[in-house]
Amino acid sequence: MLIAQQLLNGLSFGALLFLVASGFTLVFGLMRIANLAHGAFYLLGGYLGVVVTARSNLAVGLLTAAIVVAVLALVVERVLLKRVHGNELAEVLLTIGVAFVVADLCLAIFGGNPMSLAISDWLKGRVEFGSIPYPKYRLFIVVFTVVVGVALHLFQKKSRAGAMIRAGVDDREMAGACGINVRRLVAAVFVIGAALAGVAGVIGAGLLSLRPGSDMDILLFALVVVVIGGLGSIKGAAVGSVLIGLVDAISRVWLPELAYFTIFMPMALVLIFKPTGLFGRSVTQ
Amino acid sequence: MTRILGAGASTRLKLAAALVAIAAAVALPYVVSHYQVTVASLILVSAVLATSINFMAGNVGLLSLGHAGIAASAGYGLAWAALHGFGLGGQLLIAGGLTVVSSFVFGITSMRTNGIFFLMATLALGMVVFGLSYRMAPITGGENGLSGIRRPSLFAEYWTFYFAVLAVFVLVTVAVWTVGRSPFGITLRSIRESESRAQSLGYNVAAYKLGAMMISGLVAGVAGVFAVWSIEFISPASGSFVKSALAALMVILGGVGTLLGPLIGASVVLGVEHILSSYIERWPTVLGLIFIVVIIYAPNGIGGVGRDLRKWRVGRKRRRADPQPEIEPASVSLNDGSD
Repeated sequence: MLIAQQLLNGLSFGALLFLVASGFTLVFGLMRIANLAHGAFYLLGGYLGVVVTARSNLAVGLLTAAIVVAVLALVVERVLLKRVHGNELAEVLLTIGVAFVVADLCLAIFGGNPMSLAISDWLKGRVEFGSIPYPKYRLFIVVFTVVVGVALHLFQKKSRAGAMIRAGVDDREMAGACGINVRRLVAAVFVIGAALAGVAGVIGAGLLSLRPGSDMDILLFALVVVVIGGLGSIKGAAVGSVLIGLVDAISRVWLPELAYFTIFMPMALVLIFKPTGLFGRSVTQ
Repeated sequence: MTRILGAGASTRLKLAAALVAIAAAVALPYVVSHYQVTVASLILVSAVLATSINFMAGNVGLLSLGHAGIAASAGYGLAWAALHGFGLGGQLLIAGGLTVVSSFVFGITSMRTNGIFFLMATLALGMVVFGLSYRMAPITGGENGLSGIRRPSLFAEYWTFYFAVLAVFVLVTVAVWTVGRSPFGITLRSIRESESRAQSLGYNVAAYKLGAMMISGLVAGVAGVFAVWSIEFISPASGSFVKSALAALMVILGGVGTLLGPLIGASVVLGVEHILSSYIERWPTVLGLIFIVVIIYAPNGIGGVGRDLRKWRVGRKRRRADPQPEIEPASVSLNDGSD
């Protein structure tokens, strides 16, 4: 019974991880940028969401987080990343600088004490699956993530913008030659990815508390997920998230001291035997 | 400065500059204050860590963002052994053992990766070390870390310690230079130039990368041991991402692949930190801004010799233009058949 409950908990944590990792992997797929400020965007979005939700409601909190983080990301992309466009290493290192600044300003603005999301009444309490009690909020995370995941999938596969993104991922120059404004597309995807991180921060603040350092914790999880799933693959992010969520939940029961080791092992195995990840397409060379 | 370090400078000029630098370094404790000598020691220790990253970045073209994790494992090994009554030999043995283990783990998991993938793999590994040092509180002391470690009596004084780290830095730099000039180092650079070409010439690329990581990790371990000795304390912060990222920044600032780049980078970063942190409370913000400014305005380092960042760009362009660069005709010129 305990195991069943842990598995359900793992599922909701995995759902949160997908929210974070999908944005990260989406950006990487098109831009080849490993956005190491993703965790900082999560942190900023989370803090904003917590503060705004406490004064109004969750929907407004989510919207505020998404918009503010998206605007910040737009500035980062247009003002900074643009300057080193095409230089993968410089792009990554630049996002480290952004991560430091954003995380430190979060500390300055929101303080160092842990913060949690004020959960609305309709999300409090539990539901029963057979005889297993399950917090409503965790169920909400799973449902929310499934909706976001399906929306992302439909956006990518069915919409015109999604088709443009896929074209950009496959062959940037050819897409540009076909009249797609790749620069604008890249900025749009970067903003969408960041907004997802911001939203994930709000959702995550109801599950894990937010504090200085949460940005790095969640970034590690996102990295592990996308390394396992394959950089750039949304499907991979989904599989990796659920896998890591479950592994983490189970290891918390059996090997609490080695919780970090157990999420690291699957990543190490993937890196050794299939360095491109389970669903990664690109050859590393 | 730029000219002395640049490729065009004559060997004699370089030699003279090196002699002046060594004389200045030796004279330092007799000239400046206690505090400044301590800062100089910290700079040298950071320079050793940066050298370990520079070895991989310069020779193999792979920038690590997790080397502070290797250094921290060595540091924790030393500190734990020191607090459990081991003698100096035992402490160093345990630190060395942990260094080898963590370098091996870093190496085996990253040896088949490249570029951004390598960077992310090492970053994640470094974070795992950081997380473990937090969580394994019975061994690592958790958040409080381990304190009360004493330096060996030989360099217990601040100025004798300075000479010790100076000697270590020089030794490590000479060692890394020697390895870089050896057939092994030349093979590493051929892997950097074209991995697939090296592969098709029969080199076991992954094994070479693992070997390079072991050497680089050993240097990082030395840095970790001296880092513990320099402050006689270790906490999870020693293995944090910030530490790794800072060390990488030092490498870039000093110029990737240059011999003294790590020292220059460490001097600039720690110098700025020690001057500014007494005036400005928000050091991480300043650090982030330094990162951004350096990457945008000086991606090839102060010396402007960072061939690697440029190479990265050229390699990427070529890859985009030609999906199979490995079979371009230029590879024929490698085969001159003389030996």
